[in-house]
Amino acid sequence: MVGLSLTRVAMLGVAFALVAGNSAFADGDVPSLKGKTIGITSIGNEHYWNIKAYQGAVDEIKRLGGEVIGLDAGYVDAKQIAQIQTLIAQKPDAIIEELGTAAALQPSFKKIVDAGIPLFTLDTGTSYAVNTVTSDNWKIGEELALKLVSDIGYEGNIVVFNGFYSVTPVAIRYDQLQSVLKYNPNVKIIQPELKEVIPNTVQDAQTQITEILNKYPKGEIKAIWSAWDVPQVGATQALVAAGRTEIKTYGVDGSPDIVSLIKEPAQPAAAVAAQQPYLIGKAAADNVARYLAGDKNIPKITYVPHLLVTKENAAEAQAQLGQDK
Amino acid sequence: MPLNRQSFSSATLVRLSAYGAFVIVILVFAVEARGFLSFINIANVLQQSAIAGLLAFGLTLVVLGGGGNVVTGGIDLSVAATLGLGAAVYATLIAQGQSDLVAVGATLAVGVLVGIANGLAVVRLHILPLLATLAVGKIVSGLEFVLTQNSVVTATSPGLTWLAEIGPLDVPIMAWALVIATVALLLLVQVSPFGLRLHAVGAHPEAARAYGLPVGPLLFLSYVFSGLLSAAAGILLAALLSGSSPGASEMLLPVVLAVLLGVVFSRRLVPTIGGTFLAVLFISILGNGFQLLNISSYWVNGVEGVLILFVVAWTTLSQREAHA
Repeated sequence: MVGLSLTRVAMLGVAFALVAGNSAFADGDVPSLKGKTIGITSIGNEHYWNIKAYQGAVDEIKRLGGEVIGLDAGYVDAKQIAQIQTLIAQKPDAIIEELGTAAALQPSFKKIVDAGIPLFTLDTGTSYAVNTVTSDNWKIGEELALKLVSDIGYEGNIVVFNGFYSVTPVAIRYDQLQSVLKYNPNVKIIQPELKEVIPNTVQDAQTQITEILNKYPKGEIKAIWSAWDVPQVGATQALVAAGRTEIKTYGVDGSPDIVSLIKEPAQPAAAVAAQQPYLIGKAAADNVARYLAGDKNIPKITYVPHLLVTKENAAEAQAQLGQDK
Repeated sequence: MPLNRQSFSSATLVRLSAYGAFVIVILVFAVEARGFLSFINIANVLQQSAIAGLLAFGLTLVVLGGGGNVVTGGIDLSVAATLGLGAAVYATLIAQGQSDLVAVGATLAVGVLVGIANGLAVVRLHILPLLATLAVGKIVSGLEFVLTQNSVVTATSPGLTWLAEIGPLDVPIMAWALVIATVALLLLVQVSPFGLRLHAVGAHPEAARAYGLPVGPLLFLSYVFSGLLSAAAGILLAALLSGSSPGASEMLLPVVLAVLLGVVFSRRLVPTIGGTFLAVLFISILGNGFQLLNISSYWVNGVEGVLILFVVAWTTLSQREAHA
């Protein structure tokens, strides 16, 4: 599910992020994984975030000389649980778990730890993991919300997609939006909030936005916010089709299609908080290598920096995110 | 199925090659895949087959009663949706503080209702089972969506915890559930009057009707059983997931494959509980062995697709032959 499925364990009080440039990303000092086998279990590799994170981890393990047992559950929780069960029997040196339904996976995580296999996760929060690599969703939510209220002049109505509040990173981003709005009382969320769906997210968002545009004539809506970027793509397309490009769209994740929409001056896509999934996967593999080499000071959470992509920086951001090729 | 000598021998050939393939696959995995024959791995495979097994048993009853024609015969495409709704109903009730007993009753009742809807559509309204159950499945998925808002429902209860545990002889409870269901359904299908009549209805509906068998009610019952078994599988799914989450529909294809493949394991080339059981195990073992050999899981999808093509092509051809 597009980089969202984190149910994070309590981690309040972590006031600062460990960011790029420090040892977590320097290649030189990562120990070798020669002779080690690392299992990677992903809930599914169809979305941009998931594919990139998976590739990042696989490439890095291979670069460090390790072997990979790669598993893709095709977005079926029961299948991922079965794959993890078999994976435990294969006795890998470590397991990296990517996304998935955190609540459903907890018993499997316990089994991994009980079998003496260290667990690392990408975006999936669990107390069983040695380390979780993720983006700082508090900052993402805050920066996106501040950009939105600033762009609309601190007043007006906004449309919000809030269909996956049960997913923790989404909840964090939404809560950050709310706390920014609390001090900007002239910005109002149109009620009821919209609920995006999976699958057919783009088409469904298009339909929902088209309906709401019919209800609210020009000038009554200033912006559309969503906690990820697939509804944002649908919303942006609906605005163009209806000739209502005065409304701006905001989202999170930064897949190549939304970044190139933002780059187009005429498109109403205004900003996306882009994550760096490839680096997230790579950081997990590096943490595994360090841990297996005896480093017991791996932080519980590793934050990989994100990037707020706007009309102004979209071209450079494309290059920085490796999306210019 | 009136078999002349030639088709009988070709049927035997197909059956023997099916068993041969099964044995070869197991031998290869046993030699090549470390830990494949270990007790824990076999227990894992059984446990992982439980949900697909229950769904496939329900589908087996329906195909048995409706005849094996891939297009016009008996089929229940709503099994995976019922699985999802069953898990959702169970998880929602537990999350609302209901007891396991209430949740079991309600979940199984939902399964029976889905079966009744399918049965009415097929037997009363004479809608092609393929379309009738597809439509009912769509409604059932919609209900799950309404109930869960397409999100995860977390649920823990003594019953769910027990189902996910290891049982007697170090075998998981779910594996036991599969074994017990297999034995019970073997008796129901191969021995009980209901099962024998269902056989007759599926093979020769006209003769069965002329003989005075209640063809309609028997078919109707087969759909009800299918709904019931799918909902029961939903309880296992809720135990596995500690609740419910969207995506049960992905189970449909492997289950249809298991029933089609199960046909080639049977002596008279009709769906049987034993054949379906072997086919479910075969599909689980493929996934398990491929993973142990570290062959990409994408290959499993490919192999499943090839198997479906093979089995469907073969059944269609043999039916054409039989009619010629």
